[in-house]
Amino acid sequence: MASRLRLSLILAAVVACGQPSGPPPSSVATAPPVPAGVLTIGSVSLNPTQEYEVVRPFADFVAANLHQVGIGRGRVVVVGSLSKMVEELREGKVDLLIDSPFPAVFVWQHADVEPILRRWKWGSDVYRSVVFTRADSGVESVDELAGKIIAFGEPFSTSGFLMPKAALVSAGLRLVNYEDPAASIPGDRVGYVFSNDAENTMFWVLKQKVIAGAVNADYFEALAGDRINELRVLHTTDAVPRNVVCVRNSLDPKVVRAIEDLLLEMHLSDEGRASLERFEETTKFDRFPGGAEQDLARIMTLLPHVQDDLGQ
Amino acid sequence: MRLGLKGRFVAFVSAIIVAFGVVLTALSVRAQNERLRHELEDRGKLLTTVIAANTADALAMLEVRELRKMISEARDQENVLDAIAFDEDGRVLTDGTVVNPRRHALISEAALRHVSGSQALLVEFDGDAMTVTKPAHLGGRVLGGVRLRYSLASLAQDQASLARRTATVGAVFALMGVLAAALLAEAVTRPLKEIIRATRALSEGEPAPRLPVRTADEVGELAEAFNEMTRKLRDTTVSRDYLDRVLETMGECLVVTGPDGTITRVNPAVCRLSGVGEDELLGQNCRDLFRAPKGHVSLFDALGPDGSAYGLETELLARGGETVPVMISVGAMEESASRARSYVVVAADIGERLLNERQKDEFVTMVHHEVRAPLTAVRGAIGLLEGGVAGDLGERGRELVEIALRNSERMGRLVNDILASRKLDSGRMEFHFEKVEMMPLVEQAIDSTSAYAAKHNVRFELQQGVPDAMVRVDPDRMIQVLTNVLSNAVRFSAADDVVTVKAGRHHQMLRVAVSDAGPGISEDFREHVFEAFARGEHDDWRHRSGTGLGMSISKGIIGELGGAITFETELGVGTTFFVDIPESA
Repeated sequence: MASRLRLSLILAAVVACGQPSGPPPSSVATAPPVPAGVLTIGSVSLNPTQEYEVVRPFADFVAANLHQVGIGRGRVVVVGSLSKMVEELREGKVDLLIDSPFPAVFVWQHADVEPILRRWKWGSDVYRSVVFTRADSGVESVDELAGKIIAFGEPFSTSGFLMPKAALVSAGLRLVNYEDPAASIPGDRVGYVFSNDAENTMFWVLKQKVIAGAVNADYFEALAGDRINELRVLHTTDAVPRNVVCVRNSLDPKVVRAIEDLLLEMHLSDEGRASLERFEETTKFDRFPGGAEQDLARIMTLLPHVQDDLGQ
Repeated sequence: MRLGLKGRFVAFVSAIIVAFGVVLTALSVRAQNERLRHELEDRGKLLTTVIAANTADALAMLEVRELRKMISEARDQENVLDAIAFDEDGRVLTDGTVVNPRRHALISEAALRHVSGSQALLVEFDGDAMTVTKPAHLGGRVLGGVRLRYSLASLAQDQASLARRTATVGAVFALMGVLAAALLAEAVTRPLKEIIRATRALSEGEPAPRLPVRTADEVGELAEAFNEMTRKLRDTTVSRDYLDRVLETMGECLVVTGPDGTITRVNPAVCRLSGVGEDELLGQNCRDLFRAPKGHVSLFDALGPDGSAYGLETELLARGGETVPVMISVGAMEESASRARSYVVVAADIGERLLNERQKDEFVTMVHHEVRAPLTAVRGAIGLLEGGVAGDLGERGRELVEIALRNSERMGRLVNDILASRKLDSGRMEFHFEKVEMMPLVEQAIDSTSAYAAKHNVRFELQQGVPDAMVRVDPDRMIQVLTNVLSNAVRFSAADDVVTVKAGRHHQMLRVAVSDAGPGISEDFREHVFEAFARGEHDDWRHRSGTGLGMSISKGIIGELGGAITFETELGVGTTFFVDIPESA
């Protein structure tokens, strides 16, 4: 039930992300004078307009609370690829990046940035993916997916695609993208198609349109419902942080510190919580419990398997 | 409360209109409710069909995300309570929500059976909603389908609104119908009211107005009939004023009494004759005004069975104990409603007439004693002179005696006729009826008059008789009548003329016809033939004229004998007198 609720919250947040943001909190706006400094938050998206509208209120809130470090205005830069984002960061045009772990680690590896905080979403700090099949499919392990076809969610989804694909590849399987779920798959490969929706993935497996599917583990029970007994989980991936906050290393350390302090305490105030909710149902920010190196080590290991899928 | 014709008409028509309106409104509302329901159902079916068509590809491709969008849009449609898309196994794919709590739930068995075997719509009603299931098939393969739960609750609101509007329109039309009925009733009853007003005016003695005839229907006919009635009433009746005027001016006394003789009305003549005022007379009994006729204990005792009487002689009791002789006629009026009789007493003052009668009687007595007796003595003396008792009178003396005798006889006849006439008038002539043969009476009369006829060279000729015919008469009076008629014929006959006598039966009577060949009776004199002292103006026969009483006496006698005397005459041809007398069996 809890997972079903979380799924609904997530989907509701996705639908609501296009809503316009409100004005900055009055307590911040009232602090004169407004500094001239600008804090730029970058984002990667193929839907820049919608993304801008989601991020801008958060940027305004952050900037409005960084006057003490000379930041008077927030700015949002949306780019269409990770390589462009790397370029923007390198050129100092973006100060702050908040993204999924695989893109964040990719940027971390290619630009002078530092992951500083985790971003909780929908009440959870990490997520996993499950690879599942019908219980009567005859497939009992991921190895037996060879010559068959599996359905993933959306192309840039960490839990719906990147994580499970990386897990399967690391298990020694060769995954090849197909458009047609009914395509004939050679025995040395695992074909995959994008269902573009977790529900699609679930029904495609249940209706045997594909042999297996992968969805966020948090949604799996909700999607399976009372037919969960008809399914068999082949693999559950390791937990990875939901989102990662990276800052440009060349940014003034005072500003970085101020940003850390601000983000870490946002969920403690009403205005902060309101801003977080508007920012894709963000629950809070915290530090990496085991440190960024350790907590992102698994991502760094898997990244090569899906690096080509990050839309560079 | 009693309704008039108009009220009843309006009530009746209103009741029909209202009943008709209620039934019509109910039928209309019912029909429109059905139409609304069908429209709403059709909308739901159409929407389901459209959504099913749109979702067919997504169902075929199992694109649940697309299905979710479409079902979500379907849920936003008006009156859609719920919507789902399901697969060929009847399991819910999506209900259009993100949470999709009914995911994998099975639709009803009935719906699933329908989907498996049909592509048609399945409509299930449940309270104020209906669920429409539209299967989706592709090339004979069942893909699943969509189910829409469609609210019919708005139907009740629409139906209520429609019923209110229909009822309002119905009420307006009913009101207009009632108004029309009232106007129609007014149009129908207005002429009747005019007739009622005119009738009341007529009954109260006012001049009845002429009613306008507006229409050619029964009401128009009624108005025409009323006008005709009032016209005839004007022609055949007199107004109360007119009657009052007549009563005021009439010389005779008129008294109206109730059944018990109580005086209820008198005319001024009563007051004048009695010297008593009208106020005093009203309420008195009739016996206080009129003395009982001779031989009766009261005036009403003298009335016949029908309550009427004529020619009763009595006295009116005037103020101061004086009496006025009156002749009374009484008529009874019977009120049809109460059957109570009223009496109308008409009394004529006969004081003057009685005085004349008395003076006549005194004259007759005087004639009888002072003329007839001396005349008898004169005739006797003349007879003696003619008989030579006084010696030979000489030629000149005999001529003078003969003249004296002839005139005394003539005077004697005149006296006898006057006395006979008076006896007839006063009812004192005595008759001695007996049954006798008719013809001997005729023959005897001819014999009695033959000398007179011979004297004038006139001859009687009995041309026809009725042997054995019997009559019941006073023979002497009968002979007197016949003698009068015969002598009258001789009187108007020329010398050598023949007076014919015929006896026969005529209309159950015995008739004696006496015809002369005289000059005939002039037209002016014909109606005076039987009047006393009436004589025809004719120079040639003046010397033969009688007293002028003969025919009057004859008519009076024959009337007392139960017969009649008439005549036919033609100027220059002659006259025939007919004496008719009942034949006795």
